Amino acid sequence: MKLLKPSWVGHNGKPIFSVDIHPDGTKFATGGQGEDSGKVVIWNMTPVLREEAEKNEATPKMLCQMDNHLACVNCVRWSNNGQYLASGGDDKLVMVWKRATFIGPSTVFGSSSKLANVEQWRCVTILRNHTGDVMDVAWSPHDVWLASCSVDNTVVVWNARKFPEIVTSLRGHTGLVKGLTWDPVGKYIASQADDHSLKVWRTMDWQQETNITKPFNECGGTTHVLRLSWSPDGQYLVSAHAMNNSGPTAQIIERDGWKTNMDFVGHRKAVTVVKFNPKIFKKKQKNGSSPKPSCPYCCCAVGSKDRSLSVWLTSLKRPLVVIHDLFDKSIMDISWTLNGLGILVCSMDGTVAYLDFSQDELGDPLNEDEKNAIHHNIYGKSLAITTEAQLSTTIIENPEMLKYQQERQREELARQSLPREAQAHKLTSVVNGESLEDIRKNLLKKQVETRTADGRRRITPLCIAQLDTGDFSPALFNSVPILPGSVTQLPSQLSSDSNTATSLGLRHSQEPMSTPAGGKSQDDAKDGVSSGLAQANSTALKSNLLLTASTKMEPMKALDSRFTERSKATPGASISSMAGLVPLDSTLKESKPKEETSSDSEDKMTVARSLSFKRKPHDPDGGDNQVEKRKKGRPRKSDQKMMTPGSGPPLQQVTRATTLFARTAARAMSTWWAILFYCYVSMEPPVYLEVENEFSTVSGAKLSQLRCSREGREWDTLLPSRVISAAGSSDIVAVACVDRMLSVFSACGRRLLPAILLPGPMSTLHCSGFYVMALTACATLSVWDVQKQSALVRNESLQTILSGTECTVTQSLLTQQGVPVISLSSGKSYCFNFSLETWNLIADKQDLLVQCADFRNCLSSQDTAVSHGPLAVMQGRCLNAGRLASRLSSTPHSLQQGMTLAFLENQLASALILRSSVEYRYWLLIYARFLVNEGSDYRLRELCKDLLGPVHKSASSAWEPTTLGLRKRDLLKELLPVIGQNLRFQRLFTEYQDQLELLRGK
Amino acid sequence: MAKVQVLNVAVLDNPSPFGNPFQFEITFECMEDLPEDLEWKIIYVGSAESEEYDQTLDSVLVGPVPAGRHMFVFQADAPNTGLIPESDAVGVTVALITCTYRGQEFIRIGYYVNNEYTDPELRENPPVKPDYTQLQRNILASNPRVTRFHINWEGCAEKMEDSENVDPAPNSAGSSSGMLPPSSCLPGKALPVGLLPDNSMDFL
Repeated sequence: MKLLKPSWVGHNGKPIFSVDIHPDGTKFATGGQGEDSGKVVIWNMTPVLREEAEKNEATPKMLCQMDNHLACVNCVRWSNNGQYLASGGDDKLVMVWKRATFIGPSTVFGSSSKLANVEQWRCVTILRNHTGDVMDVAWSPHDVWLASCSVDNTVVVWNARKFPEIVTSLRGHTGLVKGLTWDPVGKYIASQADDHSLKVWRTMDWQQETNITKPFNECGGTTHVLRLSWSPDGQYLVSAHAMNNSGPTAQIIERDGWKTNMDFVGHRKAVTVVKFNPKIFKKKQKNGSSPKPSCPYCCCAVGSKDRSLSVWLTSLKRPLVVIHDLFDKSIMDISWTLNGLGILVCSMDGTVAYLDFSQDELGDPLNEDEKNAIHHNIYGKSLAITTEAQLSTTIIENPEMLKYQQERQREELARQSLPREAQAHKLTSVVNGESLEDIRKNLLKKQVETRTADGRRRITPLCIAQLDTGDFSPALFNSVPILPGSVTQLPSQLSSDSNTATSLGLRHSQEPMSTPAGGKSQDDAKDGVSSGLAQANSTALKSNLLLTASTKMEPMKALDSRFTERSKATPGASISSMAGLVPLDSTLKESKPKEETSSDSEDKMTVARSLSFKRKPHDPDGGDNQVEKRKKGRPRKSDQKMMTPGSGPPLQQVTRATTLFARTAARAMSTWWAILFYCYVSMEPPVYLEVENEFSTVSGAKLSQLRCSREGREWDTLLPSRVISAAGSSDIVAVACVDRMLSVFSACGRRLLPAILLPGPMSTLHCSGFYVMALTACATLSVWDVQKQSALVRNESLQTILSGTECTVTQSLLTQQGVPVISLSSGKSYCFNFSLETWNLIADKQDLLVQCADFRNCLSSQDTAVSHGPLAVMQGRCLNAGRLASRLSSTPHSLQQGMTLAFLENQLASALILRSSVEYRYWLLIYARFLVNEGSDYRLRELCKDLLGPVHKSASSAWEPTTLGLRKRDLLKELLPVIGQNLRFQRLFTEYQDQLELLRGK
Repeated sequence: MAKVQVLNVAVLDNPSPFGNPFQFEITFECMEDLPEDLEWKIIYVGSAESEEYDQTLDSVLVGPVPAGRHMFVFQADAPNTGLIPESDAVGVTVALITCTYRGQEFIRIGYYVNNEYTDPELRENPPVKPDYTQLQRNILASNPRVTRFHINWEGCAEKMEDSENVDPAPNSAGSSSGMLPPSSCLPGKALPVGLLPDNSMDFL
């Protein structure tokens, strides 16, 4: 045995309360008192082990120090996988640390030592629950749980996979709990407290298994810690401070019946710490001795207040070695190296000692397989794998699975092997392409400073990096940074996706008078005032921004949906829409009396509602603007006529209308005095409709003309009455007239149907592909398929969705698949499903699930967020907001998990009913990732089963091979790698992989 | 555990004429989004004798502060010379940067400041009435003294527990532990010059 006291390990003479060696043996942590805070230090193990390394100046000794604990640190413990370090202290906190790889060396600001931290360990979680000093922390086998005990008399078990979720709080001790140990097979946890008791708790139901008091009756609360330990074979639990015949002992408690017949005797003062060697040993076979197999035994180190250390082998009656006067004060903690041949011991006197044993002294350590075999023999296979299975030792049963696992490992390695320095450099020195030096030079000039209401200076700090561990990902590697709490980020986030969307707004505000260009509005350019229109025209020509289909939108929403529509509109299949408005006078005339009479009769409520619905264009942001704009843009037709109905809206909104024009142009432009209006069907290729009412008068009857320009080719047609709204798509053009007639023309102007008589005046008209959607003023909805000459929705009343609430229709659209969608002012959006003939709720802005669902970790970096597609349009940005809110709320994990699951299933169902295949696929992948992460076996299996369908063809099967035009088996193929990421599902993975393979063979 | 860690303070424009504004470039890291602003202050200690001569040069609110690493430059005007006792104008004094959250101070960064004439002539025979235009201010940027205080980050000041606020290893003034006694003492009290640690006065 060799003994060493590395003088360089210390906290400037302050007490060291805890020591723990990293599982890989390359470093160790100490915890204790710092200058004016608690202190955790991570040290390099090599200089302890090798003298030449100790002497080599180039070998760093201290790797990192953390002064974050506010008071003395009582315990530091590495997780079994070595990724995390947990520390608990007098500040009542448990902190969990993880190594940060993106940040280069740094010093603790203001610390007297100028040594840079070689490694960066960052606190990833703070566990707050204890109301008193935390005395001990312990990771369960396989790092499933982390337990902490405190002078508040409780033991808290934390879910180590979902910090800071609390699994349970073990109550029962009536004194300060000062030590914890897990059963190596994970069935129990034991705690020792100042209340003269040692309690064993079951992990199955977190109830007390046994309470041992007898050996502790004589004990006084005289030790700082009571670190007990469980033997690696699980058979013995050894307590700290116990008494036997007035002498201090370490009590041995047998697992079998919790018998207390043996103890370690000899220390002159209370035992503070017991620590079993992680290895099980067997006797060294000596040459010549009989080959009789010896019984395996364990090795245990005991430290005491009497400043001495004893090391025991369970095969010997006497200690292997006792070392006196190793320290000036009580021993506080002991840690074995993983190979079982070395121990570090720390003391209240602020020093650390290292003992190095040889195999001759301790025996031959059993390897992991032999140790597992012992566990299996004693506890059976089932128990040994009760906890999350030993994933590392789980046999991978299938080559495909192996392949995926290996790929994952390779990726991981590739990520890690990126030069650390380079990464750190990237992060610290470059923000948005600007070097940190540049930023610093101009920081004072650039930083945003405002005055608060009471006149105080307020500086907005410049964010130079986001936290890079745990949930956070470094800003630079994440294309869409999630900045919680800063709603202001949303526009820019959007704009990063669609610069056209912002450039629109910008251009309007910055150069409203720039020379207009483009198509039809050239002649109007001379008017000067038309710049807004022309501007919109030129901008929009590029960006297809006018394809929106809303009757009323807030600006943000507008950007949003415009972008989405744009990305959906591919040449040739572009959507177009045009929301026509009911002529105002007729609306008023018709509905006023109704409104008066309807107040007392419930059944007429819809009418009243449809009135408010029709009145929408009165809003200053609404239709009136376009009217004004229209007037500005095309003043050649009877200015006076347009002005005469002076009761109309004022003109003050003109400038605003200019900026809003692009947004509003797609909307209806007809009120009763609108004589001429046009609307865009698509921008690429440029298609637009122009309607001129009162085009000519033939024998007293006024004729209207509809002109259509499609890729430079124009056609026109005459209509016998005034057109109030028009809409078109790549395939058809539809116009609604004031006499409730709806006419449909082909792309080249051929009339496809005789005029359709509508049940009421047209309110909103949409076209998409060969579908026409009509929303009438009497609150009915119809959708026709012109190509097949069939009705998809027949005069469906909106009463179902409007009844019982005081809401109005705020937005409507027709998807490319002909599904009508209507959103209401209540924030709810519905689509009408023609096979079920039901209204289905697809979005609800008040939905609690949306606000609390947290599926961020299921988002893959490869998927761009789908902001295109009808579901995204309807849900808009409340989705993002929900994600942000979830970060701030502190919902219990299980509840949040449930909410997220429910939310994701909603999304999936909504995408399905909207027939939006892109969105369906997107949400399916997220859903699958979520199920895999949460380990929802049944749901995942059902999902796979549905996607695979029957392997053998049978006539009775109702299984459809495709959904929304996506082949289900292709979807399954996409899901499999996701499933393969969790080894627990390897059977599932294999099963479906094989079946897919089989089917491909067919 | 403090939610905000000060990572670095760079003293800009140093040394500089006495009348120049103070400029500190502060880098800090925040573990969680802070619902409220941080309040930073620069306090200039006019005289070591009494805190009565302390001047708060300026205070700013800094926010919003989402989780992450942030930096800003805190600039504040030079002290009002009228409030500095003439006898203390030349020599060593202290500038403090403090940060409070919800009215509770959680960090105090102290710098020794040396004011002296650049002109050897004046240095030899300083005028009775200090000539501030000739004074140069030199902040000992390499040796900040940082004192951290435990505060209640979740709630307001009243839940503070004094016991935790006390320096666990009480030091006499001038030891390396902190520039100043913890907040139980009134802020702004400077050390008597004679007790300054040797290493901090390299430039004297």
